Order: sequence, then C-alpha cells, then structure tokens
Amino acid sequence: MGRRRSRVEGAARALPEAVAALSRSLPAGPSPEIFRRAKFDRPEAAPVLWQLLLRVLSPLAANNTWTDLAPEAQARVVKSALGSRGYPRSVLLQFPDGSSQGSRELLLALSWLLAQGPLLEQLLAQTRVQVGDQLPQCEALTSPGPLACLVATKSPVDLRLVEWLMGKLRFRWRCLILSQREQCTLLSKIHLYTQGCHSQQSLGHLSVAETEMLRDPESSQQLLHALESENARLEAALEWRRCELVFWQWMDTVLDACSPETPAVTSQPTALPMISEGGLGELESVRQELLALQEELREVAEPRRAAWESRVGGLGQGPEWSNSRKALREVVERELADLQGSWKLCSTPAQPQRPHRLVRSKDGAPRRQGLQAAEVIRTLSAKEDCLKKALHQLQCQCQQELARLAGTLPGLIWVLPPGH
Amino acid sequence: MLGVKASYLLPADCAQRLVAELQGALDSCADQQRQLERSLRVSRRLLQVWEPTRTPSPVPETKEEDSSPACTPSSQDLEELELLTQALEKAVRVRKGVSNAGQRDRTPSLTSKATTSGTTASAHPQAPSRTGSRALGARPTKGIRRATASAKDYPECRLQTRGDKTQVRTQDQAAGYGPGLRDQAPSSVGHATELFTLKEKGTLLQLPVAFRKAASRNSRLWAQLSSTQTNDSTDATRATKTQFLHKLQMASGCSSHRPCATEVEAHAQSLRKACTLLRRHVQKELAAAPTDWMQEYRCLLTLEGLQTIVGQCLHRIQALQAAVTEQPPGVCLAEKPTQVSSVCEGEVDSSWSPELLLYSNTKELQTLATLKLRVAMLEQQIHLEKVLMAELLPLINTQEPGRPPWLALCRVTYSLLCEGGEQFLTVLRDDPAD
Repeated sequence: MGRRRSRVEGAARALPEAVAALSRSLPAGPSPEIFRRAKFDRPEAAPVLWQLLLRVLSPLAANNTWTDLAPEAQARVVKSALGSRGYPRSVLLQFPDGSSQGSRELLLALSWLLAQGPLLEQLLAQTRVQVGDQLPQCEALTSPGPLACLVATKSPVDLRLVEWLMGKLRFRWRCLILSQREQCTLLSKIHLYTQGCHSQQSLGHLSVAETEMLRDPESSQQLLHALESENARLEAALEWRRCELVFWQWMDTVLDACSPETPAVTSQPTALPMISEGGLGELESVRQELLALQEELREVAEPRRAAWESRVGGLGQGPEWSNSRKALREVVERELADLQGSWKLCSTPAQPQRPHRLVRSKDGAPRRQGLQAAEVIRTLSAKEDCLKKALHQLQCQCQQELARLAGTLPGLIWVLPPGH
Repeated sequence: MLGVKASYLLPADCAQRLVAELQGALDSCADQQRQLERSLRVSRRLLQVWEPTRTPSPVPETKEEDSSPACTPSSQDLEELELLTQALEKAVRVRKGVSNAGQRDRTPSLTSKATTSGTTASAHPQAPSRTGSRALGARPTKGIRRATASAKDYPECRLQTRGDKTQVRTQDQAAGYGPGLRDQAPSSVGHATELFTLKEKGTLLQLPVAFRKAASRNSRLWAQLSSTQTNDSTDATRATKTQFLHKLQMASGCSSHRPCATEVEAHAQSLRKACTLLRRHVQKELAAAPTDWMQEYRCLLTLEGLQTIVGQCLHRIQALQAAVTEQPPGVCLAEKPTQVSSVCEGEVDSSWSPELLLYSNTKELQTLATLKLRVAMLEQQIHLEKVLMAELLPLINTQEPGRPPWLALCRVTYSLLCEGGEQFLTVLRDDPAD
C-alpha cells in the first residue's frame, strides 16, 4: 500500500519535472505554470502560447522578423502554418484572429507538433551555435519566404523593366560566385595557418569563429555565452526525453477534458489555402497533361495491339517464339523501370542534410573519417547536370512554341542569335 | 528591322506578379551577398595584422547596390562626425599623460594576464555612423582606446601561446604585413612590437579553457541527443504518443492522414518531372519506325507499359487530391518522395551532430562551394523560367500579331525564355513592296 502511494507521489512529482524540462528546452523558455493554466483553458495562458507556437512554427520568427507582429497577425501566421502541416483540429483554425481564448486548444496544437516528430531537436538545430565553418547555405535562394514582398504596381509596366530586373539578377549571381571564391580562399588560408591549434585532434585547425574569438574578446564572451545557454537547452531536452511519458499521459486527460465541449466538426472539405495555391494547382495541371497523354497513348496503342494480334495468329507458336517474346518483355520492363527511377533522381537532396564542419585535411595525412569533398562534388555535379537539362528542355519548349507562333505570320523573317 | 524601338506594356496584374517574383529573387540574392560579405569582412580582418587593441576598421556593408554608395555621407552624418571629432580630440588632449604612462602596458606579451585583460577591455568607440569612424582615421581613435584601457574584463579570454612563454614580437614591421593585409596604412599602426599575423603566429594560438570545455560538452550533448533518438526512446512513450495523435485525429472528425503542404508540393514536383519524361519517351517511341516484328513488338510493349505508368501517376494524383480535400481516399499514399519524410516526420535525419566535410586544397573548396551556389541558382532560374512562361506565352497568344508591340513582346520573350536574357533575335519584315 505504502509502496503504491509513493509511486503515485512519484508520478505527481514527475509531471512538473517533465513540464519544466520541456519549458527549459523550448525557445524563450515559457514558465511551466503556463501549461497547467492551459489545461484549464485560462485566457492568461493564451498570449504566451500563441507566441511560442509562432516561434516553433516559423524559423523566421527566431530572428525577430515576426515577433513584432500584432497578435491578430501572429494568430493568422500560426493558423496557416498549422493548417499547412495538416493539423487536424479545425476548432483552433476557426478561432477569430487575436482572441485570447482557447489556451487549451493551443496546448493541444503544441503537443501535436511535439508528438509528430523531433520538434525540440529541430528547434535546437535551427538556432544552433555555429562554431565550425560551413559551405554557403543557399536555402534562402531557392525558397523566397512566405513574406515575399508585394510590389504595388497598379499600372501597366514596360516589359523592359522585367528584362532589366533579369539582367540585374544575373549580375548578382555573378557577384555571389566571385565573393564566394574569395571567401573560400580566405577560409582555406585561415585553416592552413592555424593547423594544429585545435584541442580536438580530429579537427586540427581553428574555424573562423574560433579564430575571431581569439582576436576579439568581446565576440569570445558572446560565443561562450551562446554555447552555454545552448548546452542548458540540450540538457533540458535530454531530461525531457527521460520523463516525457508522464506528460503524454497527462495530455491524454487534457484531450478528454476538451472533447465533449467541442464536438467534432464533421467532414468539411477544407482545402487549406497554402496547399491549394501551390501544390494543388500544380497537381491539377499535371493531371490534365497526363490525361491528354493517356488519351494519346490509347489511340496509338489499341490499333497497334489489334494489328499485332491479327498478325500473330498466322505465325507459328513454338517454344523459341515464346522465349524471345519473354526476353523482349523483360527488356522493356527494365527500360521502363529505369525511366521511373530517373524522375526520382532530380528530387533527391543535393547535399547531406546533416550539419557539417569544413575541415582542411593535411597533405599526406591518412584519410580521416568524414565526408570527402570529392564525393560531394560528384553528387552536386550530377544534380547540376540534371537541372541544366531541365532548364534547357524548358527553353526548347518555349522555342518551339514561339516558332509555331512566328510560323503563322508570313512576311516576317526571324533571325536567331548565333549558335542556333 | 522591326519592333526594336517599340515597347510593350505588360498588363498591371501580370506585371505585379512578375515584378514581385523577380524582386523576391533579387532580395534573396542580396541577402546571401550580405551574409557572405559579413563573413568576408571577418576573414579578411583575421588575415590582416593582429593588433589586439586595435578596433577593427569598419567596412560599410553592402546594402542595395542601387542606393548611393556609403562613401557619400549625408549632411547630418557630417555634422555628427564633426562633433565627434571635436570630442575625440579633446579626449586625446586630456588623456595624453595617461596614455604615455600606459603605453608600456600595451605591449601584447601574449601570455601576460594583466596586459591582455587591459587591452581586451578597450571599449569599441561607437561612432554614430560607419562613415564617421572611418573618416576619423586611426589617430584619435587610439587616444580613446588608451583612455579606456584600464578596465578589467574578460580575464578568461586571453590569448595564450603554446608551450613556452614566447613573446610575440614582430621586429620588422614590414614582415608583419601578411598577404591578406589591406588598406591599413603603416602610419596608422603605432607600435611595431604589437603586430603579428595569423600566417606567422597562427599555430601558436590556443583556445581558452572555458570555451574548450563548453564546446566539448556541447558536442557530447548533441551526440547524446542523436543516439537516444533511436535507442532510448522507450516503447511506452512512443505508444502513448501515437495513441495521443490517434485520439486527437479521431476527435477532430477525420480519421485519415492529411498530407502537409510541403508533401503535396514535393509530390506535385516529382509527378511533373514524371510527366515530362513520359511524354518525351512516348515521342521517341512514336518517331521510331519498326522494321521487323521484334521491334514492332517491343514498341507495342513499351507503349502499353507507358500507358500503365501514366495510369499509375494519375491514380496517385487522384489519391493525393482526395487526401488533401479530406475525403477518405481509397488508396493509401504508400509511395512517398524521399526528401519529404524528413520535412514532415523528421525520423530520417536522426543525426544532429555535425559531420566533418574534408577538403584538401583551396581549389577543391572553391569548386565545392561554387557548385553548391550554382545548383541553388539553377533552381532559382528554373523557377523563374516557369513563372515567365506562365505569364508571357499567353500574352503572345492573345495579342494582335504582327504589330510593333507584339513584335517587341516576342523579341523579349524569346530572349528571356530561350536565351536566359543573354541574346536577342532579330525580326526582319520581308516586304514584297520593296
């Protein structure tokens, strides 16, 4: 009996511990008390949770771009981000913007995110202190964030403006490449000159951040401080892993507490704005194209099949005949499998998603463990080729389309630039 | 020749979309450039002569290239600059005695605790504007630094020489100028004994103990985080989490998994790619003229096989569309593009510790970094090509052909879409009247 009681007490203690660990590992470390209040749907917990969700859902918010937003705008961003991640509860998504109600729903959303995947780890990785040197992070180039500026042009614009902007972009690309080259030269020099300075044998030399730290004591203090607070969050995250079970049991009761009050909103086909704009439109256009292709194929294949069947009827059907047919079938199957494989190639990530640290290997030193640059160069070159082909194909497609249009007009001579 | 002088006005809505896209691309490039510029500045400074007391000479950040360069300060800047100069000069006069006394201490014997703590404390003179502090030159700034050099801060971040207590002294001042040295006039550098470069003394540097401890603890923690990811997470926790997710899903009235936006987009992209390749293959197959029964049979099998693949793709699209609009899909989305899973589930990328990326020389590093940039740029270019295609090609179709604006439109479209904006075509009118 006594043993059981102590177990219960242990469990009662475990929950605050788990919640505290969670709080400490989250960005901006909300007070653990917030979680308890949210269970009882107290309004005072709502603003903190909205902000926390904003922080958690948008990496951009980390650099203060979005934290200055008005509460209404914050709520809108959170709702749309949750929606685009497929959050199933529509109760939260239907809250009026900027309302302070529903802290329990917010707690549920946060827990859903936590349960979905390694959220804490991802958050820690996003704000990770960069001590080592890295390759340029080009994600920004390919994904122009959701806050893409809207240009207020209400009047028609000369097409030459578009040309000019394109030219400017090409110029910037060139500048970037040049600066990148210089940066690589400097980086490699710093690595060479500090060879043997690092306390960690596997690294050998210092990184820019480490060298800069030695040059400028102020940045040294900052770096040390950042590392220490990251360490504290990492420890909290590990602690959380050890005791999260009790949190999930508690969340189960939270869910029970709110289910009867908020009846399920039954199957409303709510296609979410972010999906329908980008992906769904593209899907529909691909579908149309594929349908056309299917029709075309049907028109060609069916008569051929019929013709083939009628011819085959007259031919002999010995074992040799069926063997060669089987061989042909296998060849075609392999070819088509290769074809199916080829469109998966371009969509594989170009470089390792894992974080990396650039290390200059000493001349003549034995191969160390790690990713070899030559290997990554090969992968990137393959990807580059693939993209070049895709671009070239688009350009050819445009050329055909334009040639078709030009062909309809007699009396005009189109002189292509040299090289065609 | 026609259409060269004629201009074409884009309709407002189309213009707005195009300009927004291009501006977005330009902004992201400028962002990248700024980041790069920042690290370039740090790296350049590291390769210059190290004078522990010297405030890094600020270099104006590249903002928008279009804006006037930073070397033309505004009148307000100039006013502030004037005031600052006066104040600094006064400070120099007042502190002259102090600075003379403290001069000996500023010799950076790199091991001496007292000296380094003194020198490191030098408050960076915060000039109101970058141009201001630059225009000031080194002389007055030095005066200020000496004045504040007595405060004791950051004792643990001192430079340490390795092994014996070698004093780093560069006897010959000229020898102090490493290859990375830039725009630092000899006159601005006061004492020859303070100088050294990374090239000469880089190998003597040592990281502070506190930092070494924190860093090794940090990498240990990250490693721990990666390892428990797969092993330690108990089954009970996993089961409870899954149960929670299931319950939440059920309570919200939909029992199926709804794909997230990134997932849908990735699917759409891979299907688009599939569609293009399939079409190309079909064309190739139709262009071939079979000469014997073997070839004929093979062609037939290929066409039928392609038909099946197209059917499968269509099926996948339907299932996706159904899943997004929350109708219970008849087919499970078993096949997933690989890169999506890490976005939506994160289970794949289980290692959070950084991996070493080993390069052997500068050229290899350059190739690697340039390739990475080029891939990103090509992706950007392909995206823009698609946007331009979607906006410009329909315009050509709807305009009245043959007239100068139409010709201008064709010419620009050709240049942008087929030549990446680098070359133009020429349009000649073959006038029968001539």
